[in-house]
Amino acid sequence: MSLHSGIPRAIAADVRRGERLEYWTLGWMASVVLVMWLVMGASQAMKAAVIEDVLSLVPAVVFLLSVRWERRRPTARFPFGYRRANSLAFLVAATALLSVGGFLAYESVSTLIRQEHPTVGGITLFGHTIWLGWLMLAALAYSVIPPIILGRMKQPIAERIKDKVLHTDALMQKADWQTGLAGIAGIVGIGLGWWWADATAALFISLSIIKDAVGALKQAVAELLDGTPRALDSNELSNDAKQLVAALKARFGKIDVRLRETGRYIAVEVDCLPPDAIPTAAELMGDDLAWRLASLSFRPEPGDTGP
Amino acid sequence: MVRALAPLLLLLMLAGCDALPRDASGTSERIVRDGRMRVAIAPGTPDAAAALSLLRDYARQYGARLTIVRVHGEHAPHWLEDGKVDALVGHFAKASPWMADISLSKAVGRPEPEDSKRPVLRIARRNGENALILATDRAVAAMAE
Repeated sequence: MSLHSGIPRAIAADVRRGERLEYWTLGWMASVVLVMWLVMGASQAMKAAVIEDVLSLVPAVVFLLSVRWERRRPTARFPFGYRRANSLAFLVAATALLSVGGFLAYESVSTLIRQEHPTVGGITLFGHTIWLGWLMLAALAYSVIPPIILGRMKQPIAERIKDKVLHTDALMQKADWQTGLAGIAGIVGIGLGWWWADATAALFISLSIIKDAVGALKQAVAELLDGTPRALDSNELSNDAKQLVAALKARFGKIDVRLRETGRYIAVEVDCLPPDAIPTAAELMGDDLAWRLASLSFRPEPGDTGP
Repeated sequence: MVRALAPLLLLLMLAGCDALPRDASGTSERIVRDGRMRVAIAPGTPDAAAALSLLRDYARQYGARLTIVRVHGEHAPHWLEDGKVDALVGHFAKASPWMADISLSKAVGRPEPEDSKRPVLRIARRNGENALILATDRAVAAMAE
């Protein structure tokens, strides 16, 4: 057990899998941004979709950076290592998700208030002038596919390696494909002469994104304030944290137990004298999650000091 | 996700029922109904004839004729925005300050100038009138060929 060094062997393969998925995300989403940029024309809705897609790269980038830092050895300047980089990355990813939701909501509301009528005209390709909306629909359909696949692949890995950044990135991918579908509905709406369709669809999607982002932000702040470990998908205490507290109380009686999370790792402080036989991480957490318990400290109360 | 896709598929089926796009404020339908297309010419547009000829051909397709609306230069883009005219013929730069408020066609009867700030003959349409915009874009492209 150590709070300070590298990635445990038990999850190393999954972390590498997560990294590979994030490199795929960067490549695939960059191609989506390029395709959308090529067909966006003067459409504000498409410009918003492109900006949203660029912002959606943030969680993938900070995940890759935080894993890189997590592997670094402690130094004299950072004697506790860099595992908390994951917590910081989580805050950045949650903020990026909130920015996407907020930006989309602002664009939608301002379009509805100003009653802007989106213009999608023609584009001449190979001597034929076609409605640019058809190209936009094709680009948006393409933009929906990668996030659906990548998001679904990331979720089980995020659960296994207890990585909230990867989980937030999966939420970002959900935001991406939902925004893409809203964009398709919007362009079809524009084609049918319903100028409000695009903004209305985007507004509903933005509210769902903001809800997810606020939840993630609450968790990120809790983690940075040394709160008890939270579940991946809500601000509730995580099941393994509750089980760990129960296991410690069963072993040491009615004692105070404090848990905090540094990135994906749990550190425990128990208010009692150190026992003769210190329980192993596997005894307290089970074999599968033993890697998650990075530190167990015993803090005798002044009156507890033995002979 | 299937539930999310259902309304989308419905929209796409709707789209397939009729030609897209349509006008948000129904300019094309109104031109057909009234039998006239209201066009304003911005002052200082001596070469407006090429654009007017193009618009006349468009109107004729729908059994309509052109009606030239006299409007003060300063008011012309606002009249277009407000739907008081259906098209405005004038000299506009590609990077015109009006480009967000009205929809500008490509240069009429000549190649697009390299300098995006150089005003050339264009047809301005009301934003959101996508059927009219696409039809006139096609006519401008055909003229360029």
